[in-house]
Amino acid sequence: MIKSLIYEWKTIARERWLSVLFLLFFGCTLFAVRNGREHVGDRAAAIDKARHEQEVAEEATRFEIDSIARGLKRYEQSWLDPRMLSVYGQRMGRVVAMDPQPLAFVSTGQSDLFTHYTKPKLYGEAYALGFSELSNPVKLLFGSFDLAFVCIYLLPLLVVAFSYNVLSAERESGSLRLTLAQPISVFGWLLRKFMVRFVALAAVVVGSMMLAFLMMGLGLPHGTVRMVAVILSYAFFWFALSFWVNVTGKSSGSNAVKLMSAWIVVVLLLPAIIGQLATQLYPVPSRINMIHQYRVAEAEADKRASEILKTYYRDHPELARQDSSQPNRYQFWIEYFASIDLIKEAVMPVVDRYNRQLASQQAWVDQWRFASPAILLQDALTDLSGTSARHYSDFRQQVIAYADAWRSYFMPRMFRNEWMTTEALDQLPRHTYQSQHVRSSFLIDLLVMVLAAIGVLAAGWVTFRRLSTEQLLAG
Amino acid sequence: MIRAILRKELTENVREGRFRVVILTLLLVTVVSVLVSKRYYESVNEQHERARANARQEWVGQGQKNPHSAAHYGTYAFKPKYPLSLIDNGVDKYAGVSIFLEAHKRSDAQYMAAQDQTALSRFGDLTPDFILMFLIPLVIILLGFNAFTRERESGTLRLLKSQGVPVGRLLLGKWVALYLPIAIVTLVLFALAAILLSGIRDYGVFGVGAWLLLLMVFLVYYAVFTNLTLLVSAVSPRSSLSFVALLGLWVLSCLAMPKASSAMADSLFPYPTQLEFEEQIARDKRSGLNGHDPWNAAAKKLEEETLARHNVQTVAELPFNWDGYFMQQGEEHEAEIYFKHYQSLKETYQNQTRVYKTLAVLSPFLPTRFLSMAICRTDYHAHWDFADAAEKYRLMLVGKMNGDMVENSKTGEWDYLADEKLWAAVPDFDYQPLSQRTVLALQQGNLLTLLGWWLVSAMAVYVAVKKMSIF
Repeated sequence: MIKSLIYEWKTIARERWLSVLFLLFFGCTLFAVRNGREHVGDRAAAIDKARHEQEVAEEATRFEIDSIARGLKRYEQSWLDPRMLSVYGQRMGRVVAMDPQPLAFVSTGQSDLFTHYTKPKLYGEAYALGFSELSNPVKLLFGSFDLAFVCIYLLPLLVVAFSYNVLSAERESGSLRLTLAQPISVFGWLLRKFMVRFVALAAVVVGSMMLAFLMMGLGLPHGTVRMVAVILSYAFFWFALSFWVNVTGKSSGSNAVKLMSAWIVVVLLLPAIIGQLATQLYPVPSRINMIHQYRVAEAEADKRASEILKTYYRDHPELARQDSSQPNRYQFWIEYFASIDLIKEAVMPVVDRYNRQLASQQAWVDQWRFASPAILLQDALTDLSGTSARHYSDFRQQVIAYADAWRSYFMPRMFRNEWMTTEALDQLPRHTYQSQHVRSSFLIDLLVMVLAAIGVLAAGWVTFRRLSTEQLLAG
Repeated sequence: MIRAILRKELTENVREGRFRVVILTLLLVTVVSVLVSKRYYESVNEQHERARANARQEWVGQGQKNPHSAAHYGTYAFKPKYPLSLIDNGVDKYAGVSIFLEAHKRSDAQYMAAQDQTALSRFGDLTPDFILMFLIPLVIILLGFNAFTRERESGTLRLLKSQGVPVGRLLLGKWVALYLPIAIVTLVLFALAAILLSGIRDYGVFGVGAWLLLLMVFLVYYAVFTNLTLLVSAVSPRSSLSFVALLGLWVLSCLAMPKASSAMADSLFPYPTQLEFEEQIARDKRSGLNGHDPWNAAAKKLEEETLARHNVQTVAELPFNWDGYFMQQGEEHEAEIYFKHYQSLKETYQNQTRVYKTLAVLSPFLPTRFLSMAICRTDYHAHWDFADAAEKYRLMLVGKMNGDMVENSKTGEWDYLADEKLWAAVPDFDYQPLSQRTVLALQQGNLLTLLGWWLVSAMAVYVAVKKMSIF
């Protein structure tokens, strides 16, 4: 038993072109990890810089407010005075950032589409924000050369190249006849051959990744084990498929074509078709129309500003000032705040419908992801990387919540006609990014992948049972 | 002789299950994708038309206002869809469709369609360009990987050689047999697209020239892949090896190279983040262009000069509305700042484009991709052209508003109101896509690279077949 394993290993090791393939795989892995690290590094650096600039600006403003309070400095124009709540709230927004997860470099996911930090201000609606990031759309079209790409697209090809002719080569060289003459279980013998290859490939894959991580100075980030598990289960699936194709007992050429066709269907066609169907079945309403609704509502609110304000005071008596001898210096803003609800009321149906359709799309895709292991792996890797669509939609919600908090801080104080003070600076709302509550689909993805592989293996067993020795030898 | 080879190859193909299944599937997928694409095109066009009408109506019907308030209220520019985008949607999904035009601020295009889709869309959509760019080369490989290896494995190559079949004719026969069905499917797709396009009401400017050019580009692209397939088949000892090698070649040129090239382009010439970019502009607005000449200093100088020129003491004595004039000067000053920053962004993009063009030498996919997008006016350059046109329109619009204030009101007369007459006098934003000649001039490099691929691969396959071993 052990002898045959060693023999098997020696035959593999002697194949020159395999070492070339493995070297190529390592090269791809290294390049992918390098790209990922650069992408995440840029992201983290941009966030740090924004935070640092915010701190500097806040310190400077604190100093200025203090100087004004001590009578050392004066502003002629009120629209420059940092003590004006409106000036502070509009100019000094705080950074709301989505910090990268430890494994963010593994999968770019949606991270090239959306911005990772923003500064909500008093004016404007967070729910209408685009969240887009400056980038060359050609890059978005081509996609990233990241570890996820290497695993989803290239790894199956490596598996296929490594195993498409395990049985057929034995037959084509004539050694199958000899093997069949031995008193052993042919199925077990074939399975062992596959096992050796799987273990060898797993060692190459894991070794390449670990080496690339170390060379790029990443160490072993939290979650690496889970990442390796799901990638190996994907490789396992392809081995199982190759096993099945092998035991149909056809020629090497026929096996190669079958496996490649399977690759085309699983990796290229199924994801494209399912994605296309999602957008066809649940088309999102026009964003342009949303803008239109917003502007119509805004214009309407503008016209009826004073009337709206009266109604607003009736609904929010707590905001009305006791002492109204002085005119409120934030009159423009107060009218704006009063109109917000009205605008929101008009726009929300469109926004809601939009969100509903997007959720339906996502639900459809979530449900159909089981149709292709490639989609499962993409889902699992973006999940581990914190770059899935779910993470970004959650971040959007966090921004909207923070923008609300920011406004809620200033609004009542503006109604009370107050100034910004240095003490108030310490009470401004802060945001810390949290992703724990984003629903993780990792375990289900992993489980289904393993089950699918076992299912395919079982199918291979059934096929093998039906095959007679003559068929096996004839090919 | 050629006819005999061709007939043998074609008959063999048609008899083989693989060929029939592949070609029929391809045809089916093609027709479905064109129909789906047409539906998408129509719905986007309809949305676009409605949005355009809405925006114009909002603008004209905004009621009595101070012209500068109207400039603040602003309007929208919408990117029209070029008819050929039905075939290649290019980067349209990843570039916004609408630009808000208002006083004091240049905005970027907003709302990219990709953000309104699930993560699955990053695998690619089943669109005509997906079929043309990715699937058809695969089909060529699937049909032709054993063109020579099959003859070698069954021993017929030895027979052919011993009978003295001229190598050139053998190659030509096999070449045409592989290329013909592909060309037919491509023609079907293009004919279908042309019929559908001419059936759409108001389908806009759609030149036969662009359509033909696009067709030619793809036919050359497939000729390259046919050459490469036959080349590998001629030098491979076994069919299976030929297949694996060709697939590796396909993965490399259609998947890995594009991704690797954008990683390199981005690494060499990185973009600033959105917020960084905005803050750079804000900084220049505060402290003056390039850090000197801040606007409040320049404004003071402007005021003094204007007063001296008209020989008056205060701005109120000026024969025109100083506020309007002052705001217009400020607008032009800010426009310069925007121009500077967008220009540097443009340089980054042009540098990246140069990287792509250079790397196109390594993959026939890249020049084809860029040519196809450019001809369909869905490439990044077309997007920039639209954004620049929108900015020009914005400056015209704001200038007209401020100009009306300068001429028709007095300094300090903030309650001056203009009405619909003025709003309607502003022409509607009408974007004209790039001309064919401009596109061709820009794409010269890619065109040459693609033709180079064709030439070199043709020579290589000829030499390889000539020297081919019969074993």
